[in-house]
Amino acid sequence: MYMMETCNLTKTYEGFTAVSNVSLHIPQGAVYGFLGPNGAGKSTTMKMFLGLTRPTSGSFTIDGRQYPRDRMEILRKVGSFIEAPAFYGNLSGEENLDVIRQILGLPKSAVTEVLELVGLTPFRKRLARKYSLGMKQRLGLAGALIGHPPVLILDEPTNGLDPVGIHEIRNLIRSLPQRYDCTVLVSSHLLSEVELMADNIGILNHGHLLFEGTLEDLKSSAASQGYPTDNLEDTFLAMVDADNRQRGVTR
Amino acid sequence: MRGIVLEWKKEKRTGILPAFLGGGILAGAVPLANMAFRSEMYLKQYTPWMQVSRTPFAILLDANWQMMAMLNMLLVVTGACLLYHTEYADNGLQKMRTLPLWEGTCFLGKTVLLFFLSLLLLAIEAGAIAFCAGHWFEGAMEGISAWLELGLYFGYAFLRMVPCILLSLLVAEACRNMWISLGIGVLCLFTATLLPAQVMSSGKIQFLAFFPFAMPFRMTTDMEGILENVAGGMWDLYAAAIWAAVLVLAGWLYRKGRRAWA
Amino acid sequence: MNFLTLVGMELRKTRRCGIGYILLAATVILWVPSILHIDLNFGMEAEGISPEHNFFIQGFLAMTWFLFPASMVAGCVLLGQTERTNRGILRMLTLPVDTVRLCLAKFAVLLVLAAVQILMMTGMYYISALIGSEIRDYNFVLPFWFVAGQTGGLFLSSIPMIAFFWMLSVWIRTPIFSIGLGLASIVPSVLVINTKLWFAYPMAYPLFVVTAQYGRLAANLDTAQVEWVPWIPVAVAVTAACLGIACYRFGREERI
Repeated sequence: MYMMETCNLTKTYEGFTAVSNVSLHIPQGAVYGFLGPNGAGKSTTMKMFLGLTRPTSGSFTIDGRQYPRDRMEILRKVGSFIEAPAFYGNLSGEENLDVIRQILGLPKSAVTEVLELVGLTPFRKRLARKYSLGMKQRLGLAGALIGHPPVLILDEPTNGLDPVGIHEIRNLIRSLPQRYDCTVLVSSHLLSEVELMADNIGILNHGHLLFEGTLEDLKSSAASQGYPTDNLEDTFLAMVDADNRQRGVTR
Repeated sequence: MRGIVLEWKKEKRTGILPAFLGGGILAGAVPLANMAFRSEMYLKQYTPWMQVSRTPFAILLDANWQMMAMLNMLLVVTGACLLYHTEYADNGLQKMRTLPLWEGTCFLGKTVLLFFLSLLLLAIEAGAIAFCAGHWFEGAMEGISAWLELGLYFGYAFLRMVPCILLSLLVAEACRNMWISLGIGVLCLFTATLLPAQVMSSGKIQFLAFFPFAMPFRMTTDMEGILENVAGGMWDLYAAAIWAAVLVLAGWLYRKGRRAWA
Repeated sequence: MNFLTLVGMELRKTRRCGIGYILLAATVILWVPSILHIDLNFGMEAEGISPEHNFFIQGFLAMTWFLFPASMVAGCVLLGQTERTNRGILRMLTLPVDTVRLCLAKFAVLLVLAAVQILMMTGMYYISALIGSEIRDYNFVLPFWFVAGQTGGLFLSSIPMIAFFWMLSVWIRTPIFSIGLGLASIVPSVLVINTKLWFAYPMAYPLFVVTAQYGRLAANLDTAQVEWVPWIPVAVAVTAACLGIACYRFGREERI
């Protein structure tokens, strides 16, 4: 049973294909690492899941619901964190979350709980525009996690965090499926990071899906194609490099 | 209801309430200053012993309404820009779009909020007019009927403002950059001031007179006109209703279109 | 860095901001009704002004009373927001640029915007005057030097006003207050120009200058005329004070 599934998802901007025929399969209860260099189309794909960008062709389902028909229901199920943190600068962290809480119709305790979860409780009264980069990141995460949605879409959630914070958030994400029985789609451009959190991974380069499967699958397939396998980061780089060369792109 | 409370919360610390209060006081000061400096000019027009005398409200509003309406609309335009500026400044609107929320909720909440603020504005101005009438025109504010008449004037003034409020919000929603929405608002307001005076005051129905930014400048000062004469105030109310419907529909189409082209 | 280079750089920051379209739309909206109502210019015997002068001055009156000042307020918003939205200002403050010069460079950009609007206005005036001449078979086009003198005077008289708006937008950080105050301060100009203390109110200067010109052109109209003293000293003092405050406040919030 796949929680999220895409079928030949494509997004073309004028003369430029950001995402090309991507078919992802994300199992229920998994942490799915979405990997690719900057500009590979990860964010575009995630934005399509949230209805922020309209697919040029192809389709996707989340928990059996289809976009755009069931857009509202999809949004109800998905907690999201996209790119630059989105918030209201004139409100405090707590007030920002309270706005989201009211829209989702959650009890007041949800805000306290999620503030505690991301470690923002001491700073909850501070205005969001005065937050440090790391705090903004945590606020964004809190906005995604509030109310335990069954699906989480997190775009580079550890960007801008310090090593302790990265470790903390990583462990948090890792523990989410067991804790709240949810499915997590998390993007990153670091394989070393994805390796520590994800059960399944998908590798995207220039809008094309290069690989999808478990980490073990990746190792074995890489070995069979002659890529280095002792360090997964090297594997990833070699795959992307080979793909780039095949497309005649130099980066 | 929840949506309105939510929008109100989002406007914390933006100063929108003090701005409207201050604007109301400023607009209210216009008739006060006018009466304080040259009351004899207006008192001359007041001749209650004659059949044809105009009411104190008519005299006061005729003398001051143009300027008060201008201030009102400037506030409405600025307020609408600000309501959406808080959404765009730190990407709040994007978060809203990823929440399971009917897309019009934001607009609806902001509309009702701006309605309330405009009513507040008009209430302060009505208070100022009532004070002027009571202070300078003997016996003008005696009895409940005077208050009713005043309420009627300002009630109609509010209804005439509705299209302008909706249009300002729609423009502000469509423009990520505040100066664009502000610039468009200023242009619309300027266009309204250009419409020649005879179009504005004549009973003839002229298409341009029903431009959303032109309607609030009118203040029908003969009450019978509002109540009975179709060529008078009633046309403004029909126009306001039609504009409201058109603008709400346009907003709905815009939101639909935006998602389709995103 | 040379001051002019700095101004050029500030101008570059306003690229693709769309203000040009708004200024253009403003001038079109302004002159189209003038052409449509061109017949009105022939019925001004009471004022004693010739049709071609009336055509010119009515357009400029309409512009200076509200549109021009309000466009400058919008211009201030534009300059402020381009810096603040993505914290460009922080980047600037980390560079070896003197904040006072930066602030003045931005003010210079505002003056350029004002000049552009006045030039567009003048260009559109000539186009409409030519069209009007064709329609009515009457020469509406005024000599170049006359028009240039008028528009130059308008530009110069607007400098204190623009300095005041710029100070508001730098000093008052809450957008609704700086915009609201700026726009609201325009409205009383119509009253202020009829008082003896008009020179104390910079927002009224452009309107006063154009109104005074109207009075000179119309034989039967008696409008107040410009008195250089105390106007010029007051105007200079106001401009200096506004720019001083603006430069003092500029970037201060970001550096706390």
